[in-house]
Amino acid sequence: MVVQKTVAELNYGLSLPHRKMEDWRWTDLRQLVDKPYPPRQTVVAAPKDVERLLKSSPFAKVAGSRLVFVNGHLSLENSETGLVQQSKGKILGVATQISTDEPVITMNAAFATDGARLKISGTTDTPIELLFLATNADARTIATRNVIEIEKGAAATLIETHLGEGTYLSNSVTEIRVGEGARLDRIKVELEAADAIHLAHTHTTLGKNTVFNDFTLTSGAKTNRQNGTVEFKGQGTEARVSGAYMLGGKQHADTRLLIDHQVPHCTSREIFKCVMDDNARGIFQGKVIVQRDAQKTDGKQSSHALLLSETAEFDAKPELEIFADDVVCGHGATSGDLNHDHLFYLMSRGIPPAEAKSLLIATFVGEAFDLIAHEGIKEALVKFSNKWLSQHRRAS
Amino acid sequence: MLEIKNLHVKLADEDRVILNGLTLSVKAGEVHAIMGPNGSGKSTLSYVLSGREGYEVTEGSVTYKGEDLLAMTPSDRAARGVFLAFQYPIEIPGVATMQFLKVALNSQRKARGEKEMTTPDFMRLVKERAAKLNIGPEMLKRPVNVGFSGGEKKRAEILQMAVLEPALCVLDETDSGLDIDAMRVVADGVNSLRSPDRAMIVITHYQRLLDYIVPDHVHVLSRGRIVKSGGKSLALELEAKGYAEFESEAA
Ligand SMILES: Nc1ncnc2c1ncn2[C@@H]1O[C@H](COP(=O)(O)OP(=O)(O)OP(=O)(O)O)[C@@H](O)[C@H]1O
Ligand SMILES: [Mg+2]
Repeated sequence: MVVQKTVAELNYGLSLPHRKMEDWRWTDLRQLVDKPYPPRQTVVAAPKDVERLLKSSPFAKVAGSRLVFVNGHLSLENSETGLVQQSKGKILGVATQISTDEPVITMNAAFATDGARLKISGTTDTPIELLFLATNADARTIATRNVIEIEKGAAATLIETHLGEGTYLSNSVTEIRVGEGARLDRIKVELEAADAIHLAHTHTTLGKNTVFNDFTLTSGAKTNRQNGTVEFKGQGTEARVSGAYMLGGKQHADTRLLIDHQVPHCTSREIFKCVMDDNARGIFQGKVIVQRDAQKTDGKQSSHALLLSETAEFDAKPELEIFADDVVCGHGATSGDLNHDHLFYLMSRGIPPAEAKSLLIATFVGEAFDLIAHEGIKEALVKFSNKWLSQHRRAS
Repeated sequence: MLEIKNLHVKLADEDRVILNGLTLSVKAGEVHAIMGPNGSGKSTLSYVLSGREGYEVTEGSVTYKGEDLLAMTPSDRAARGVFLAFQYPIEIPGVATMQFLKVALNSQRKARGEKEMTTPDFMRLVKERAAKLNIGPEMLKRPVNVGFSGGEKKRAEILQMAVLEPALCVLDETDSGLDIDAMRVVADGVNSLRSPDRAMIVITHYQRLLDYIVPDHVHVLSRGRIVKSGGKSLALELEAKGYAEFESEAA
């Protein structure tokens, strides 16, 4: 099939995924990347713009150390590197583990300018934040590539925050390796500018006896596509990949997870709670693969959508591919509006309709926040969610 | 306090009439008992008074403290003092009981233009009222009604009532599911709320509750209307004879 290249494709010299590709059915980037976003444009940011964005991070007071990337480049003067052993500069080429036919990675490999390379060896309770800021300037692509290594026996909490102003396409690829007996709690918060496009791919490999808790809040950008791949490489490992959407307007968010059980005796859980208002469109594609050797796998995934308007839409595509015979796996997906009996009960006690709704919505997403161990981070997310709810509050 | 006149109610999305010309007048300080066969419309009446969706008033009126009750939203009714103890209290997973009660109380106070209650004052109030109803702290730690036994749910409803201090209390079969001791505890709780400026409508199937909560008036509700009213002795009479007489009468 010969298709005419889009303006963005010509500009990039790359092909963008289209909806005939299985994984991209709901997110047609050829259409959604609606104009050229020229890459690698060096953009000088005004200090006051950076300041404003820094302040708007929900984690401004939570993180112990932070690496701040402004328009795709590490900004040392805005970072607090205390805990972090960081290395600046051009980050690796395409890592071999990551399949390169993934369009997000191909784009990232071509355009990445910088990123964090962290090797964490001790254990620390203090969260480390990677903060990616985009300031208002001409439409452009900002691509970053991170490599996070949690060494044998280490434990860390890592926050990844994406914030911005203006029109841009942000492409973020992160490679994570969790070594034997190590633990990583990762919290990603996508709060890109209303007019931005956010594309991301996170590839995680888990060693023996590791614990990996991954949470993603998706609430920014007009178009969002996040891929996550988790490979189980060592026995006795537990991974929980969870997330929440809080979307309104015409926002579009598509998450595609691939949970790959390659070895026996591992547990995986995926829980997504998605609140959709106005004309927002949410997609959750979760695939669990249990390879032939991965006996005694315990894998469950669920997605739950709360539709606050008749025009909001949510699609779930859960998939199980099981090649082992002694496993416990399952998936579930629900989608609906608020429970009217619950609402009536609250109102019958004097809680006005708008507050009753907010309380029930906050409870719904709160179940996803509850999976986060760090209290300060959880509080920051609850605060964010309350702010979002007050902006989306209405009585009927 | 409450004037129900010739109330006709049908299901909103079905052509089924449930209340069929119900008239009832309740003055401040009074306790009215409503008895009647299953399916006669007792709970429907309680839902219409509290503003539940799904019902349509086709005729008649309900005036509460001189105002049109039916024009108010459920939360406004609550703020003005209408309280329904549900026949089947609703479980709300994830919503903590204490948070729910505090938001409810302060929403009502705010709507009435009163100052919100501080957390310590609120905690003290709930602890004191809960103790009287034999409700321990572990129940208050759970989400609203979640995992409560049938009897615990009924006691929790009365606790909410005791904390919110409504002016018009509608109790829909609060006694069903309660063991004998719990019934006494709940009745004591209800009686301690009796006051000259508070009225109660007690829906029940059993005259035994009325030994504890002694009503001023007893009504028989059959096929959507009040078919007989009397004093406390009417309950005893019903206990002996059943509803056969009224069912044929109303037919
Ligand atoms: N939402 C509804 N949908 C369908 N039918 C309803 C609804 N609400 C009430 N009804 C019907 O209306 C009638 C009256 O119901 P209601 O619950 O008011 O009776 P009740 O007097 O409280 O009975 P019980 O003593 O069993 O509690 C019943 O036949 C019931 O099935
Ligand atoms: Mg009933």
